[in-house]
Amino acid sequence: MFWEQLLNGLTLGSTYALIALGYTMVYGIIQLINFAHGEIYMFGAFVGLFLVTVAGADLFTALIGAMIFCMILGMLVERIAYRPLRGKSSRLSALISAIGVSIFLSTLMALIRGTNTTRYPNILEINTYHIGGLEISSLQIIILVVSALLMIGLQLLIQKTKIGKAMRACSQDLDASSLMGINVNRVISATFAIGSSLAAAGGVLVGIYYNAVWPYMGMMAGLKAFAAAVLGGIGSIPGAMIGGLTLGVMEIMGVAYLSSSYKDAIAFAILIIVLIIRPQGILGKKITKKV
Amino acid sequence: MEAFLTQYIDAYYLRIFVLIGINIILALGLNLITGVTGQLSMGHAGFMSIGAYTAAILTMQYQAPFWAALLAGALLAAFFGFLIGIPTLRLEGDYLAMVTIGFAEIIRVFFLNFEPGGKAVGLYGMPPNTTFVLVWGIVIVVILLNAKLLDSRTGRALYAIRENEIAAEASGIDTTRMKVLAFTVGSFLGGLAGGLYAHYMSYIAPQDFGFMKSIEILNMVVLGGMGSIPGSILGAVILTIAPEMLRIVADYRLLFYGGLLVILMIFRPNGLLGDVRIYDIKKRWFKKEVG
Amino acid sequence: MYFQGKTRLAIVLCLMMMFSLIAGCGGGTNETNGDKAAGDTIRLGFLGATTGSVANYGIPGEKGMKLAIQEINAEGGVLGKQLEGIYEDNKGENSEIANITTKYITRDKVAGMIGDPCTGLTKVAADIAQKNKMVIFSAGATGEGVVEIGDYVFRNTLLDKFAVPVVVDWMLDDQGWKNVAIITSLNNGYSTALTPVFKQALEARQVNIVLEDSVNDGETDFTAQVTKLKNSGADVLVFTGYYTEAALIMNEVQKQNFDIKLIGGDGLYGQDLAKLGLSAVEEKVIFYCGFSTDQPSAETEAFLEKYRAEYNEEPDMFSAQYYDAVRILADAMETSGSADPTVYKEELAKLKDYPGVSGMTSFREDREPVKSPVFLLTVKDGKFALVNKLPVEVK
Repeated sequence: MFWEQLLNGLTLGSTYALIALGYTMVYGIIQLINFAHGEIYMFGAFVGLFLVTVAGADLFTALIGAMIFCMILGMLVERIAYRPLRGKSSRLSALISAIGVSIFLSTLMALIRGTNTTRYPNILEINTYHIGGLEISSLQIIILVVSALLMIGLQLLIQKTKIGKAMRACSQDLDASSLMGINVNRVISATFAIGSSLAAAGGVLVGIYYNAVWPYMGMMAGLKAFAAAVLGGIGSIPGAMIGGLTLGVMEIMGVAYLSSSYKDAIAFAILIIVLIIRPQGILGKKITKKV
Repeated sequence: MEAFLTQYIDAYYLRIFVLIGINIILALGLNLITGVTGQLSMGHAGFMSIGAYTAAILTMQYQAPFWAALLAGALLAAFFGFLIGIPTLRLEGDYLAMVTIGFAEIIRVFFLNFEPGGKAVGLYGMPPNTTFVLVWGIVIVVILLNAKLLDSRTGRALYAIRENEIAAEASGIDTTRMKVLAFTVGSFLGGLAGGLYAHYMSYIAPQDFGFMKSIEILNMVVLGGMGSIPGSILGAVILTIAPEMLRIVADYRLLFYGGLLVILMIFRPNGLLGDVRIYDIKKRWFKKEVG
Repeated sequence: MYFQGKTRLAIVLCLMMMFSLIAGCGGGTNETNGDKAAGDTIRLGFLGATTGSVANYGIPGEKGMKLAIQEINAEGGVLGKQLEGIYEDNKGENSEIANITTKYITRDKVAGMIGDPCTGLTKVAADIAQKNKMVIFSAGATGEGVVEIGDYVFRNTLLDKFAVPVVVDWMLDDQGWKNVAIITSLNNGYSTALTPVFKQALEARQVNIVLEDSVNDGETDFTAQVTKLKNSGADVLVFTGYYTEAALIMNEVQKQNFDIKLIGGDGLYGQDLAKLGLSAVEEKVIFYCGFSTDQPSAETEAFLEKYRAEYNEEPDMFSAQYYDAVRILADAMETSGSADPTVYKEELAKLKDYPGVSGMTSFREDREPVKSPVFLLTVKDGKFALVNKLPVEVK
């Protein structure tokens, strides 16, 4: 049972990680907790659902379609709700604006689709493989593989491409990057686009895995993913991956061996303890206070 | 007095006025922590629930006098505020926000498992001791004390921490003590409001104090104007009345609400009454010399 | 300079708003003091959620209530007046139902309220109703401590404490299950109240409870719980929550490739159970309730026809109980000759052998309803189908 539970945890954790990446990327550059990120993830799931049920798309097309849609949605949100605030107001007003977007988007979807949970069709045939006494379903393999591929892709993008370099520069110093001739607004847009598309992928995968989507699914998932990002060290991309996986495994193991009634409390308690011992998270850089 | 009021004012309006009063106390408490001292707390509903449950259990199961139960609830909330204040010595900004979210979630899960608190069913049948006169009496006292505090040396020290913590420390302010003080007093008010709420609704359940409730209180503070007493009052008034007025447009009200938050932040990023202080009003309107 | 013209304007506006509200109250009272109830219509308030996680109970309930009002009005109304339903959506939230109940009583001047389908929400509303001497008639609350709130509180449902022992007997004697697992939905008041009822009934028969676990409403990840269930050696799963989570648990059971039946209460009675679970719930989920469209009585048959003609869909327990509630209330008003809750509540309490569309209903001395039989339903070809009818004996 331990190995099966570990597998459950890793699957859950990799979906957290996909969402957490968006939080951490945006945070790394403009120090904003993008509260609407959970709703972008929810939209991704619903766009995927639409493509599958109405257009009869397969997994790959649904995934790409949802990612493109949310890419645009993410950039739009940034353009409308965050950019006008940038530079002239406190980070808290930006945060409230993000909360506003979050409420707006979830209500919008509730109006379009109703607040009921909707079934996500099985796009794939589910096979179960037995590996040395361990049962693993094809769905779990797909989720783990797709998440891993996306994360590797992201890492390559950040490390090897020009826009990745610009993003890294911006995360170190926005003003200096601007002076070096980097179009900061474009880099921020790109960050939102990439982060949102990863969340959309997470949404589609979760939909397929659990067969269910609903308009308010973004809030708790967003909260957990944000916790994962903080746990890993907010602003750090490998940190978000490790944070996501750790949180997922912790949660499942909590249910399996401690008590399912305290599931969320266990996850948050560990988070608080980690933060008190290591305030910058697992992989975060220590912030030196500037005068 | 109460009988007099119920005779002349519609019970429905009276109910909303009482809820406005309770929300003002909540908003003023959070304003002290987040608005004035600049420590982002996103778990104020957690303090509220501690006050609510403590007071309710004391009056129902131990037949404690109402005032004593209220005070006990507020003091217990203050104690937890003090505990949460301690990590602020090490944590800043969004890490602190995460700890406060986590804390409120842990409290919620605790009450979900808490047998004397009725678990998910909640507690029901508290004596309806909270009256219009009592609530608004407390509101006035809280406003006056709050104004007094912010106008004092301590108050200015709190503002200084928000503006620049390092400079504040360099000027000889004991920032640690001040931050813990803000948390303790702020959560005391949260607990007080919780006790009043429990004895007004006669029904509480863990779901009433979830993450969205914390966000709602935060919105009151930010919408009204960070660090401003009249601002917090205005925020509480607007956010209590708005959902009732928007009831006509039932399904769309949260859509408006979300959109409104974004628009407000774009056009008035510091809130409607950002940093308006009571003594400024005195100075301007009564032409009285201050200081 | 903190204080500028604009801010002053804002304060003035804020004060004006508050005063206009107070002025509004004054006006409102004068108007409503004109006693709307004595006016041209008799108003009934609907309590229920038409959006949110319990919307599957409220939506059919609202339809049942509308149908009853429409029919009564076509037959000439009550006491020579037309009935008028007022419908607000309480979203399944405590604070919402409290505000709506107050609004119904003080502003809409209703003569009675029908609902809510959920026990917890009904208690919130019933407390306010009792204090204001207003009749509340729940068409779905099956848990403990509802009518105890006071003599203005009624309900016409099959109570869990009467139904569960019957169901447990069926599970053990008919089906021969021995090892039982129980899953509770922790943030669901209905579920946390039903679990002890099941446990008591199971323990009374000395059944082995091999696993006690919990989930939360609104979650989708039940992998850990289902893996535990798979390894627990249980013959049957009792889940005390709502339809959404039941369907998702069964989906996960199907994915983890094992076979177990899920038994639950009428919280599972939602069309979404079949829509979400598809083959995973077909003849796998069995729940008890007080209504079935199979083998209907003459009254039920007539109701079925009217409902199908009006809405072009099948009614469920909630539509039937809301329909009955409106009918029973209207009868009590007619018999007592008054739409005043303080008067007609006396007549209401005397209800005996009422042949409702949701079964035969009588009120005991303590106003608790007694309904028989218990229907066991499952999902067959995407529709609810009768498994068994079990008689209830209440002392």
